Amino acid sequence: MNGVTRRVLDPAGLGPACDALHEQHGRMQMAYALERDDGGLEVRYLAAPGSGQAFELWCCRPADGRLPTLTDRAPLLGWYEREMQDLFGLEFGGHPEPHRLVLHEGADPSVPPLRRAAPPGEALPFVRAPWTEPDIDGEDVQRLPFGPVRADVAESAQFVFYYLGEGILHYYPRLFFKHRGLEKRFEGTRPELGVVLAERVSGVGSLGHALAYCQAVEDACGCRVPEYAQWARTLLQELERIYNHLHYFAILADATTLKVGNAQGRLLEEDAKKINARVTGSRFLRNMLIPGGLRRALSGLDGLEDALDPLRRAVERYLAKLNATPSYRDRLIGTGVLTRRTAFDQGATGPVERASGLDRDLRRDHPYAAYESLPPEVTLAETGDADARAAIRRRELLASFTFVSRLLRAVPGGSLRAECRPEAGSGGLGWTEGPRGALYYAVHIGPDGQLGRVKIKSPSFSNWRVFPFTVHGTDMMDYAINEASFGLTIAGCDR
Amino acid sequence: MPLWTLFGLRAGRATTRWPDGGDDGQSDVVGMPRFQPERCLSGCRECVDACLPGAITATGGEGEASIALDYGRCIACRMCIDSCPASALTASGDWAFGVRDRRDLRTANIGDGGGDEPAERLRAGIRRAFGRSLHIRHVDAGSCNGCESELQALNNPFYNLHRLGIFFTASPRHADVLLVTGTVTYAMRDALRATYEAMPEPRWVLASGSCAVSGGATAGTYASGRGADEVVPVDVYLPGCPPNPAALMHALLLLVERAEQRVHRGRVS
Amino acid sequence: MSVLVLVTACCLPAAFAAGLVAGGRPVARALLLAGLAASVLVAVLSLPSGIDLGTTPALLPGGAPVAWRLAPAALWLYLFGAIGALAATASRSALASGRREGLWYSGVALSLVGAVGTFAVQDGVALLVSWEIMSLGGAFMLLCETPDRDRGMNVLFMLGLLEFGSVALMGAVLWLGLASGGPAFAGFHGAVGGGSGVAVGLLLLLGFGAKLGLLPFYEWFPGAYESGSGATGAVLSGVVLNAAFFGLARGLVDWTTGQTPGFAYLVLAVAVGTSILTALYAFQQDDWRGLLAFSSAENGGIAVTLIGAVLVLRDAGLSQLAALAWGAALIHLAGHALAKSGLFLTSDRIRRATGSYGLTSPGIARLAPWAGAAVVIAGMSLAAVPPTPGFISEWFGFQTLFNGFNLDSLSGRIALALSGAGLALTAAIALATFVKVLGLGLLGRPAENAPGQTGRRWIAVPLLAGAVLVLAIGMPWWLAALDTGMSARFGHGASELMRAGWLLVPLTPHFAFISPTKLAIAIPLYALVPVIVVLAVTRMRARRVPVWYGGLQERPGPSATTSLTFSNALRRYYSFVYRPRETTEREHDTADYFLHRLTFSYEDAPIFGPWLFSPVVRTVHWLSRGFRALQSGYLNFYLALIGAALMIVLVFTLA
Repeated sequence: MNGVTRRVLDPAGLGPACDALHEQHGRMQMAYALERDDGGLEVRYLAAPGSGQAFELWCCRPADGRLPTLTDRAPLLGWYEREMQDLFGLEFGGHPEPHRLVLHEGADPSVPPLRRAAPPGEALPFVRAPWTEPDIDGEDVQRLPFGPVRADVAESAQFVFYYLGEGILHYYPRLFFKHRGLEKRFEGTRPELGVVLAERVSGVGSLGHALAYCQAVEDACGCRVPEYAQWARTLLQELERIYNHLHYFAILADATTLKVGNAQGRLLEEDAKKINARVTGSRFLRNMLIPGGLRRALSGLDGLEDALDPLRRAVERYLAKLNATPSYRDRLIGTGVLTRRTAFDQGATGPVERASGLDRDLRRDHPYAAYESLPPEVTLAETGDADARAAIRRRELLASFTFVSRLLRAVPGGSLRAECRPEAGSGGLGWTEGPRGALYYAVHIGPDGQLGRVKIKSPSFSNWRVFPFTVHGTDMMDYAINEASFGLTIAGCDR
Repeated sequence: MPLWTLFGLRAGRATTRWPDGGDDGQSDVVGMPRFQPERCLSGCRECVDACLPGAITATGGEGEASIALDYGRCIACRMCIDSCPASALTASGDWAFGVRDRRDLRTANIGDGGGDEPAERLRAGIRRAFGRSLHIRHVDAGSCNGCESELQALNNPFYNLHRLGIFFTASPRHADVLLVTGTVTYAMRDALRATYEAMPEPRWVLASGSCAVSGGATAGTYASGRGADEVVPVDVYLPGCPPNPAALMHALLLLVERAEQRVHRGRVS
Repeated sequence: MSVLVLVTACCLPAAFAAGLVAGGRPVARALLLAGLAASVLVAVLSLPSGIDLGTTPALLPGGAPVAWRLAPAALWLYLFGAIGALAATASRSALASGRREGLWYSGVALSLVGAVGTFAVQDGVALLVSWEIMSLGGAFMLLCETPDRDRGMNVLFMLGLLEFGSVALMGAVLWLGLASGGPAFAGFHGAVGGGSGVAVGLLLLLGFGAKLGLLPFYEWFPGAYESGSGATGAVLSGVVLNAAFFGLARGLVDWTTGQTPGFAYLVLAVAVGTSILTALYAFQQDDWRGLLAFSSAENGGIAVTLIGAVLVLRDAGLSQLAALAWGAALIHLAGHALAKSGLFLTSDRIRRATGSYGLTSPGIARLAPWAGAAVVIAGMSLAAVPPTPGFISEWFGFQTLFNGFNLDSLSGRIALALSGAGLALTAAIALATFVKVLGLGLLGRPAENAPGQTGRRWIAVPLLAGAVLVLAIGMPWWLAALDTGMSARFGHGASELMRAGWLLVPLTPHFAFISPTKLAIAIPLYALVPVIVVLAVTRMRARRVPVWYGGLQERPGPSATTSLTFSNALRRYYSFVYRPRETTEREHDTADYFLHRLTFSYEDAPIFGPWLFSPVVRTVHWLSRGFRALQSGYLNFYLALIGAALMIVLVFTLA
């Protein structure tokens, strides 16, 4: 894999390697398992040693399906290990929460679903069983299970509150109601069709997923994407960032009961989606990318800058007005504080981690597409509250408009796509920094040249793990605003 | 807050007049592929191989009848258009694909019998009873959140669903229509069924998006179902990936007989 | 009539004796029931004129015989308290069992004897003796029901504070006796005035207030009541409370006349402060008995507020308004006795159904729906919801206080207006409290592992609720019973000014009126309308589906509102009163990110405990440590002390 150093470790060496990583102020990124051609399992850990340094991929073979847990050193790996437990049947000795995560309690597959031996297309046997919960002792404490069908148009998930009328003692989200088993669906598909699946992991992140997937496949076959395609991909990613951040502000205004603010935000998001349709024919920027480049040229580029200009001015006025509204700022300042230490330990990513003072952005630290020659400006905040998270996104939104203008002024020529046929047994890693944070795709090609194992790590998966730590001990009234200030999706997390 | 009210008043009207004339907002949006089987090359199966959800199948027939297309599975990814050497499949702006009968989404050469009778479940007089006001309970049964994004867009100032008398409610007890998105994952089956049971009669179901119609791109994995009609009886099917807000409005108006169905036996009329 | 009096006079002491004997339990119970029934009949038959019970030999050698006379107001208050005590005795729901149950009946008999004495004796010494017997009876009842040491400490605390009151009472009686030349009450009227009157009034306030629960004495209420059962609480909050109130009211209104208006304002301030504080603490309780105990103190406070208004108005010459306030106080405690007994007995039933007195959701309404309706009526009376007697007395009380604009002095008007405001706050918190009691106590699903049965058929509580309704509906006619007494105190037909036909009016029907009688007819008729509509229109068969929780089936128990979550908002709002403290202990695995167990507990601080009683106790300990020096153990020191005492005696006799 390009730009990624491989290390082979045995189970005993994982702990010391993790300690060494932390000493250099590096951080673990993700972990996943795959089944090798000989039927044995292998676990891969992705580590980011530090800014400017290449990723490290640690490959480890479990002994008898067991590995020691790394959760005590890197708590953010907790969810990855539980996912591997559920989907591959691995055991992580010493894990503090060895309960079901991805598969709900009561799901009883005969073979772990992502193993090759699992019968294809067979539905999961499932009889609902109660969740495993921490022991909450106190006869005055109420338990509120909210969901999975929630009010208004929202994604399905259940949020469990232990609260005392107003104050929340403990909270945890029960996700993975929407788990569709997408990673399994990739297996056996042609690599050039896999991008269609990648776009449908998370609709509002379609382009980010497609881009990360294509880069992973391009990494696997080592092809060079033409300059025009790189340029176009960058433009499209910034367009995706724009409409997602506008949606975020609309929802934040709604949570702080600014109805007109909400309406205006949604209207601006609608204008941004119309611009998406103008450029690609799809309001979600779908059906443009393919491994090797683009499927077709962007349309409507003439006059696009003139179309973006009024939108940009309207957005600037809108954001200034929001910022000047005392009730809105009041509800955000001090709400849902995420400390820097928790953000680092639990794997926060994107604007959430930058609002807590962690200076990490994949576009600048591990550049891809056209970001290498045009590094974006990265904004930081220290307070870690909802106001900081909104401020980061505000600056990113305005910076995206500037970035798009720069891009439009220098359209390169060149072909749309290069040949990209990955060989059997190859593998690649692709990543993007989307509006919600860092997204990784690890793609392995099977012996028949079709897709083998595809691992998707979406930013919402990381941030949902972080979110409860900002809720314990706060008030119910602040909960909706706090959740809106994180701006997460559930489909990306559940896959 | 007086700031915002004044701002809203000065912003004026942003709502389109559609469907009573005016801009439907989808002028640049590419919809479902248009199929002209008379252009097919004999023995060519490029589109069948390129279709991920299996919407395009080879029937084993001859000439025009050799390729069958089920729009209920189409995710509008345009791979078939890119791979067709004879331009039998072309990009179009057709997105108003709401239908009452699932069979209307399939081209006629899919042997499933049957003619053009609309589903018997819709009772007469729905327009009289519900023509002015419809309350929708939405359930996300495992979508990619694209459908949710377009559904949330229905209440933005441009589309403004409220002017048609259609609202989203928080409780199924107050709902007339159950709008299902997503393939119905294993974990959402009981929740979806419970929501349907919790609705008082008369009640209708709208399966929105190709995932809810047939399972879409992710159908048939260990966790993912094959559409809403495995769990609840569906009255209107609306394929699309995702269906845009104008298509959603058309399907809802179709439900209360304020709009006409545009697709019959896989053909756009 | 005299037969009935004789029966009462014999049965009650005999019940006391029988209960002490092993195996005398059924006899004691029968005697107690007979005595109570007889006394109730006496009370009913003797209103409105009062009854003269004769005399008993003097208690002190050389003193006059003790006269026993029950004034109409005393009969009225005793009647309703005795009905409650009758229900409590008949319910057999005391926590004591076996031998101890007999002792419990003795305790009840003692309390009743003491209460009758407090109501009836016309002699200072006999009053003190009755007062002590009543306190002893209360302690008896509680100690029978509490086997362990800690609960016993609560009873000792109660007795300690009551003794403080007794000392104050003794001081007042002595002062009045010295001023009037004898212990008989006849001489106490107008015996002291001016500054002495204020001092005597203060002593009376302290003395009777210790039992009524005026601040700071209400702090024994929760501990003592929670050591016993609901039946004990019914007796303590019914007959005993009424007796204490009668003593205080008679003392302040009859014996100390013509003091400075400042004293009346002090009474108002203490009473209003009591009601507000006890209402606030009642709202936070999570045990039936504690909550009802604080509520009793609150109602006592309201009644004393009305007595304070009587003082203010009478001193300003507005005797008709004063009569109104007096009547309101009497109605208040009448309704309170009935309703509170009903709720205390309900709490016993709930303990039988769920095993504890806690305010969790036992779902009584599902187990016994009609009894549940009766409990609601009792709760409505305490929450002052029409058409109950609680509402009538609150209404009369507010009418009196807001009529303060008739006063000439500005301070009087302000005092009454502020008292009205305080009463309004109390009424609001009381409403919330009883919503909490009824909601948590009646509704919800019974817990899975609860015994699930409330015992035998409910008789007492529905009867008490019926009595509450009868009291309210017939109020225009029952008020005739108070005519004689109020005329004697306040001149002309004072109580006739409270009613006009079927209406209840504040002196004149042109200002305002209420009519529970007419309401009781109108409400059921109005209620028929929706019932008829529903029955006539509904044609569809209902389809029942499970409760909607968001798609999944959930157990309702853990999600139900608890006592703390209901009161938490007010607890934070009034945190300067409660000084709440919440303790959350979290146990973690590995790092502190993975919660394994969370334990939550909370407590509220009382006001007078840490700021008044503890410093007093510490002072006493300090003093006693100082005086311990006297026990030095040296013979020479003792001889020196004796010598010094002899010298002082010599000096006094020779000088």
